[in-house]
Amino acid sequence: MFLNHVREQLSAYCHDELDAKAARRVAEHLIACRSCRAEFEEIKAGVKLAEHLPLVKAPDSLWSELENRLEQQVSKQEQPIKARESFRYRSFFRVPAAIAAALVLILGVAAFWIYRQESRRSWEVARLIGAPMIGNSRIGQTGQLGVGQWLETDADSRARISVASIGQVEIDPNTRVRLLETRPTEHRLELARGRMSAHIWAPPRLFFVDTPSAVAADLGCAYTLEVDDQGASLLRVTSGWVALQLHDRESVVPAGAACATRPGIGPGTPYFEDASQTFRAALTKLDFENGMAEATDNALLKDLLAEARVRDTLTLWHLLYRVSGNDRALVYDRLAALTPPPPGVTREGVLQLDEKMLRLWKGHLDNIWTGASPLKKGWINMWTRTLEKIKQ
Amino acid sequence: MEQRAVMAEPIINERVIKACQQGDREAFRLLFEAYKDKVFSIAVYSCGGDETCAGDVTQQVFLKLMTNISQFRGESQFTTWLYRMVANACIDEQRKRKRFLPFADSPPATRIEFKRPQEQRYAKIELADSVRHAIAELKPKFRLAILLRYIEDLSYEEMASILNCSKGTVASRLNRGHKELARRLAHLRDQVVLGD
Repeated sequence: MFLNHVREQLSAYCHDELDAKAARRVAEHLIACRSCRAEFEEIKAGVKLAEHLPLVKAPDSLWSELENRLEQQVSKQEQPIKARESFRYRSFFRVPAAIAAALVLILGVAAFWIYRQESRRSWEVARLIGAPMIGNSRIGQTGQLGVGQWLETDADSRARISVASIGQVEIDPNTRVRLLETRPTEHRLELARGRMSAHIWAPPRLFFVDTPSAVAADLGCAYTLEVDDQGASLLRVTSGWVALQLHDRESVVPAGAACATRPGIGPGTPYFEDASQTFRAALTKLDFENGMAEATDNALLKDLLAEARVRDTLTLWHLLYRVSGNDRALVYDRLAALTPPPPGVTREGVLQLDEKMLRLWKGHLDNIWTGASPLKKGWINMWTRTLEKIKQ
Repeated sequence: MEQRAVMAEPIINERVIKACQQGDREAFRLLFEAYKDKVFSIAVYSCGGDETCAGDVTQQVFLKLMTNISQFRGESQFTTWLYRMVANACIDEQRKRKRFLPFADSPPATRIEFKRPQEQRYAKIELADSVRHAIAELKPKFRLAILLRYIEDLSYEEMASILNCSKGTVASRLNRGHKELARRLAHLRDQVVLGD
């Protein structure tokens, strides 16, 4: 597999220019090949940037200038062939009818084109139970969720969405979701309220879910995400990884961990669900009750650090970014006591949030968080198993 | 991007083209109105933002189109035929500029206004400005591939026909162009990748 890298096909993959078989081969390769995946991230960023390329309006004077040049050209040509002139003037009087006919044709073709585009840009929805609605219409056994359309379930209904060819999302009762975008470089849902479970088998950062308080970016995973009526959400990851982000605040959540978000704040700090009650209660207060602002003698932080186990280094690593001063030093010391930093990572560097050092340390901690000894072995295995199931 | 395509697609019908072939000035006007912004956009990026140069290239393209439209037999898509002229005109212009005027030395007075102070507070406008600049600075063959794809919304097959190369070459040029854009605009990547 690794002998056949897919770098040359990545733009074509992003533009949906590959046939289904080739596209699947690229997707499978991207999951397993780190170097091609890094290249894919580059290309995808380039594609997304290029999509912002604006059209430049031609100056209004261009036609009159062109007409003058045309007149000059035509008069040169017309002198020897006067007979054609009368035909040209006859053409002029036929203009209104020609324009009207052309406009009718234009509108017809445009309407057909829009219809085709819109129908292509939709996901299939299967009714699991009850009567899910797309817009104002109940769906039968299946329906199509177009870009911009809402899918809503009541207390007695559930539905399953096929996310292009990259996964499935189950929609629980009392949930409202909207399809925001679907194209090879980005598939995006909005979860306004309720709960959804996603199983995605695609390269990282292709599937996103917008909630009122953060964006969930799939990094190759299965997870549930729920949003309450106040816009707060809770993410629980069952396999792989998910990133929650709002502006420059990001939480990376592995399998077995969870993370809450709040409107106006964004994602809190991720934690393993088997952490102690004291640990979790202290973390909630730190995240959402202004606990991070306490610069000195932070009792909440001390409670949390005292309760931290080796696995809870997930939380501590994220906390390094979110606390400052003496609090950051306390977090570092506890983190280093639980898992000593690898060579090249110094206390001073970490306290100054040296990105290279923090990434290096995280690389080592990943193994603890995922329970895998080779880096991300479990993640790749998960992919392989999922892909095998799809092939069957 | 897709809305732009809607504007252009319908014009490719036999009646309008036939009317143009018969010398119908109003049909030609219709054709001009449908494609002028796209042709001008490609020209303006190929001319390093010089609107005067872009206007001249656009006029040349439409004059040539008018003169040669009787030769269009419908064997290829009309757009393929048109954009082949556009691509050739831009390549010619690029050669002239290379010979007579260094790219960065274009007269500032005639350069397109990339900065619009009243709108700069909007992040999207700033992003578009940055993308324009970065695209204007790409190597010509990568830039042309990017422009044909993103301004004209053409398929790889159409682009290959216009650029007289294989689909693989188109893919390769787009790859290089995309990577170059990502590199030049690395500071904006998070903004477009997450888009929150």
